[in-house]
Amino acid sequence: MSTKDNYIISGKKDGKRVDSRILEEMIQEAVAGGYMNLEVQAFGQHGIGGRLFKSDTNGTNIIISGQSGQRVGAMGFANTYIELMGPASDDVGWLNAGAHIVVHGNAGNGAANGMAQGKIYVAGNIGSRGMTMTKHNPRFEPPELWVLGSAGDYFGEFMAGGVAVICGVGSQTPENVLGYRPFVGMVGGKAFFRGPHGGFSQSDSAMIPINDAEWDWLLKNMKLFLKEIHRLELLKTLSDRKTWQLIVARSPDERILFPKRSMESFKTDVWEKELGRGGLIGDLTLTDRSLIPVITTGILRRFVPVWENRKYLAPCEAGCPTGIPVQERWSLIRAGHVDEAVDLSLSYTPFPATVCGYLCPNLCMQACSRQSSLMAPVDIKKLGQTSIDAKLPELPPESGKKIAVLGGGPAGISVAWQLRMSGHKATVYDMAKKLGGKISSVIPSSRIPQEVITKELERVRSVIPHVNLQQRLTKKDIEQLLADYDILVIAVGARQPRMLSVPGKEKAIPALDFLAQAKEGKARAGRRVVIIGAGNVGCDVAAEAHRFGAREITLIDVQEPASYGAERKAAEEIGAKFIWPCFTREITNKGVKLESGKVIPADTVIISIGDVPDLAFLPESVKTDRGFVIVNDYFQTSNPRIFAIGDAVKPGLITDAIGAGRSAADAIIKILKGIRPSDNLRRVIDKKRIKLEYLDPRVTGFDGLEHCGSQCSSCGTCRDCAICVAVCPQSAITRVTKGGNEFEMVVDENRCIGCGFCAGACPCGVWAMIENEPIE
Amino acid sequence: MLSDRHITPSTLSKKDLPWQVLWNRDKCTLCGQCTAVCPVNAIELGVFRKRILQTSLDTGSVPSSLNSVFHGIRQKTDPAYSCVGCAMCNLVCPNDAIIPVKSDEADKLRFHINQGGQPRSRGGRRNVKGGILDQIKFIRISMLTDPALDAGRHEFELRTLLGRILPPEKNLEFYYENGWIPPVRDIYPLIIGGMSFGALSPNMWEGLQMGVAYLNEELSMPVRICTGEGGCPPRLLRSRFLKYVILQIASGYFGWDEIIHSIPHMKEDPCAVEIKYGQGAKPGDGGLLMWHKVNKLIAAIRGVPAGVSLPSPPTHQTQYSIEESVAKMIQSMCMAWGFRVPVYPKISGTSTALAVLNNLTRNPYAGGLAIDGEDGGTGAAYNVSMNHMGHPIASNVRDCYLTLTKTGMQNEIPLFAAGGIGKSGNLAANASALIMLGASGVQAGKYIMQAAAGCVGSESDRCNICNIGRCPKGITSQDSRLYRRLDVEEVAQRVVDVFLSFDTELKKIVAPLGRSTSLPIGMSDALGISDYNAAERLGIKYVV
Repeated sequence: MSTKDNYIISGKKDGKRVDSRILEEMIQEAVAGGYMNLEVQAFGQHGIGGRLFKSDTNGTNIIISGQSGQRVGAMGFANTYIELMGPASDDVGWLNAGAHIVVHGNAGNGAANGMAQGKIYVAGNIGSRGMTMTKHNPRFEPPELWVLGSAGDYFGEFMAGGVAVICGVGSQTPENVLGYRPFVGMVGGKAFFRGPHGGFSQSDSAMIPINDAEWDWLLKNMKLFLKEIHRLELLKTLSDRKTWQLIVARSPDERILFPKRSMESFKTDVWEKELGRGGLIGDLTLTDRSLIPVITTGILRRFVPVWENRKYLAPCEAGCPTGIPVQERWSLIRAGHVDEAVDLSLSYTPFPATVCGYLCPNLCMQACSRQSSLMAPVDIKKLGQTSIDAKLPELPPESGKKIAVLGGGPAGISVAWQLRMSGHKATVYDMAKKLGGKISSVIPSSRIPQEVITKELERVRSVIPHVNLQQRLTKKDIEQLLADYDILVIAVGARQPRMLSVPGKEKAIPALDFLAQAKEGKARAGRRVVIIGAGNVGCDVAAEAHRFGAREITLIDVQEPASYGAERKAAEEIGAKFIWPCFTREITNKGVKLESGKVIPADTVIISIGDVPDLAFLPESVKTDRGFVIVNDYFQTSNPRIFAIGDAVKPGLITDAIGAGRSAADAIIKILKGIRPSDNLRRVIDKKRIKLEYLDPRVTGFDGLEHCGSQCSSCGTCRDCAICVAVCPQSAITRVTKGGNEFEMVVDENRCIGCGFCAGACPCGVWAMIENEPIE
Repeated sequence: MLSDRHITPSTLSKKDLPWQVLWNRDKCTLCGQCTAVCPVNAIELGVFRKRILQTSLDTGSVPSSLNSVFHGIRQKTDPAYSCVGCAMCNLVCPNDAIIPVKSDEADKLRFHINQGGQPRSRGGRRNVKGGILDQIKFIRISMLTDPALDAGRHEFELRTLLGRILPPEKNLEFYYENGWIPPVRDIYPLIIGGMSFGALSPNMWEGLQMGVAYLNEELSMPVRICTGEGGCPPRLLRSRFLKYVILQIASGYFGWDEIIHSIPHMKEDPCAVEIKYGQGAKPGDGGLLMWHKVNKLIAAIRGVPAGVSLPSPPTHQTQYSIEESVAKMIQSMCMAWGFRVPVYPKISGTSTALAVLNNLTRNPYAGGLAIDGEDGGTGAAYNVSMNHMGHPIASNVRDCYLTLTKTGMQNEIPLFAAGGIGKSGNLAANASALIMLGASGVQAGKYIMQAAAGCVGSESDRCNICNIGRCPKGITSQDSRLYRRLDVEEVAQRVVDVFLSFDTELKKIVAPLGRSTSLPIGMSDALGISDYNAAERLGIKYVV
């Protein structure tokens, strides 16, 4: 195509400004028409020189004289060369896509905004927001902005590519050639500058040394720039490498969002420097406040396990008035020590077979933890009966202390037994020829084989000295006994029958007399027997009366009969009738006449409404209440040297009497040692601690002692099952032997995390979790 | 439950509890970490029966029952040990085998946590989610109508003034007449609200203070923190960091003798003094720091012997009227620092707030009014106080602001709003809404605990056991076994993070409004809400 020179387009027509749209059409037409050198005499038109897509490869040169408007060279195309002979208005080279623009004066705001390719040479200064949003498309060379003077404010904001060169010659702001807050949001490109700056965005950009390649590039292009703006004379001045600096965008990985001091450094160098070591409260506490893990060991555990072996009473032990640790006996059975399990009982009772095996309603079984889960309680009867063969332990030598026990029944024998076991001599005074009280005199033989009683009483007699009194004790006798003995124990029982104060009462037989006669085989009963008082003694009377020939037996009571258990069952089996409420008005030869007027015919009437003690011999110093002796918690009477136990204090079961004897003995032993007697502080274990889940709930009966032992949960006493050792996730529990059969479960506090698994898994409820000691 | 045991009226099943602990036997490794960490001992190792029946219909075969056990995690049902849903078990479980799940219906525990006639008390805040603040939108966006502001590029002066701001001519007049003008502080509009040393653990309290100091000294953000009522460690009182601190005086007057002793040794004046008359969480009710929490350290800071209970009565004992409170307390506290420190009261949100405000406007010593709305949090309060007492903050602060505008005093006495700001996580939006309704700044406490220390408490009644000293994150406990789970520096760093991100969000709200680069106090034309009545009540636009 032929070339045409100096095609002039005027921005005025007929003295009037040509609209930007018209001027644009004129320029586009000229270029399409092959004109390559245009002079545009501008008159404030917008966007001159941009978008010359039709320019051929040799390019189009546009000289702009006059006053150019905004956005000269906007969307400029490659092969376009624009030369502004004066200053440029705003946004010169906006979205420049390749044009080369030379401005011979200053340029306004927004120079090179959004430029992606091409070059802009400015021979003066530029306004604010120059070189903002520039890009570098890798398909093309990066765009360049050369400024001879200085940049205005917010230079290079969001700059994403390209090269800016600020020469700092003739700066409008010589003290700061980059203006206020340059390079905020810069992500790409670089800027060479020469002269002082007032700071730049540290988080987005960084100043780096200029390397040789960059310097060569700068120098080489500097010549072109200076040549085109006709200022080659500055080359020497601008070739001083040390006056130049380079700012580049930080890469994403070296981007600092907020350049700041580490908190660690702040703490050491600022915080503690001002406040002192230990910070805010370093002067008030020495407590270590450093970071710890959530799961901790040792002193830092919130809870610690405690092996509370035997700390609490098993329910059976607590339920037994005698206080026999039944669970210990099963423990011995499990360990194969059947003999020891049997012998152990003698430490607690002189009558393990008689009472546990036959006569006791077995309160231990009623209390058994297994009952709380509808499971059959461990059967103690068998073990009790086996105890007939229990061997007496070796007795300690006598201490020299002497105790007199008045009454040779279960209570008296129990206290004397315990005292002798502890080395004190206890002498039993009794009216009977042989020791045994009610056990030997009134318990029907249907309830217990005679040989059991005989054998156990023989064992007792071999240990306890017995003085067979020939006459009733008097107050004077007591005085003498107090002089002869250290301690006196009243265990005379309740042998005086309570009688009804109704006419004909002398026709009735007291129950105890009847039972004693029966025992001796001398009792007499008519065919029709009425028993007034339908308690367990009444039931015994009924059974014995039947044995002696009675066939119509009636038990009457003023209220629902309190009898229960074996006695009641025996009475019912022989066909005895229970009638209540019945109030006796008179006892006649025909029978018992009631308040209602009805007569219950009877050949024999037996009164069984309880017995009271005969305490006429007691000194004034011993206080009584309604016929019974008043005692404190350990059976001491108001006379400190006199104790009272058994039915003389309160009517009860044989096991109650034995238990009272044991408690009194314990107190006496302590008093003799000079120690204040104390209550038993052991409490019964909380059944919720017992894990019955280990036991088979479908067991309804027990097959021998071993089976009983295996099904006992050993409440509160370690059964040495080692489940805790196995369950501990930290392997912190060890079994430590302590000599003999004794052992201990020991926790390594440096391994334990206080999870409580030991407590959760322990079948016996021995392990407990307690709060760790406070740390101040 | 043992099978022969009777039930009581308060015997509950797991279903009756607010949280059910789901445990997965297959995943569980029985490591013990969950039971070791549970703050309320709600779970324990359980022994479970497992019965296997072996049956066959073959002739001659006898069916058998085989009893065995397995071990696993059991949730307790005793109300005293009910799960609080903190999920620490889940946090520590290496196998993700355990998690508490909120009951799918109203729990029955609520009817039984008054054993012994003692109604429920707890920590946290009102168990009601959401609220009006979350519904407020910023509807006035600058679309070519105002200077386009860029939150990232432009510099904003998001500061507020605390203290009595008199017009210049009045200031001059005041100065000539009195030789004194009221002190004013230029501070950041988000203040960390009063949480006492005692309510918070030492590590938490120090972490907050350190974070605030960092924001001031390293990032030039003039953030302030209120001490709450529980005194102030002497070292802080005697340090330059005191200028970042608002000292609170409340009805218990704890630690004030130590503060008074420190006055001659102070390098800096405190930022301000806040006189607490009420708390949004438990309006009109006092507090009680139980004796077992008053260890040697707390005792030293509060200036009391260790091991005694510390009551803060509901009212100041010697003040009987608004006039007296305003005149007597404000003047006394001003006097303590030679009238150089702004003093302002903090009240709980109430329909009588205007009466207080009217008194303050007539008192030149009054440096502002802080109002704590019904959604405010606390370390301990009766559940009934927390859930049912108090006034919502939005309309309360709005009424106050509009009253001030009627007398032309809206720029003179700053209002500070608190109570549930950031409750749903929208700290900057809630704060901006209140500021545009007329607050000069906001106070936040609970959000800071959640964001800076990982508090798990929520309005779903999760955790909320601040009152029993067993905070699983160590935020509100005085037991070093618990509070050592919290690292002072990490808390401080989180405080910094919270404020920096809040600052960005605040700008992201303020900039698009395009109006100015300073805090848009009272710029309520930017607010809209889709609730017509709320719009009417607050005097903002109704938009749908």
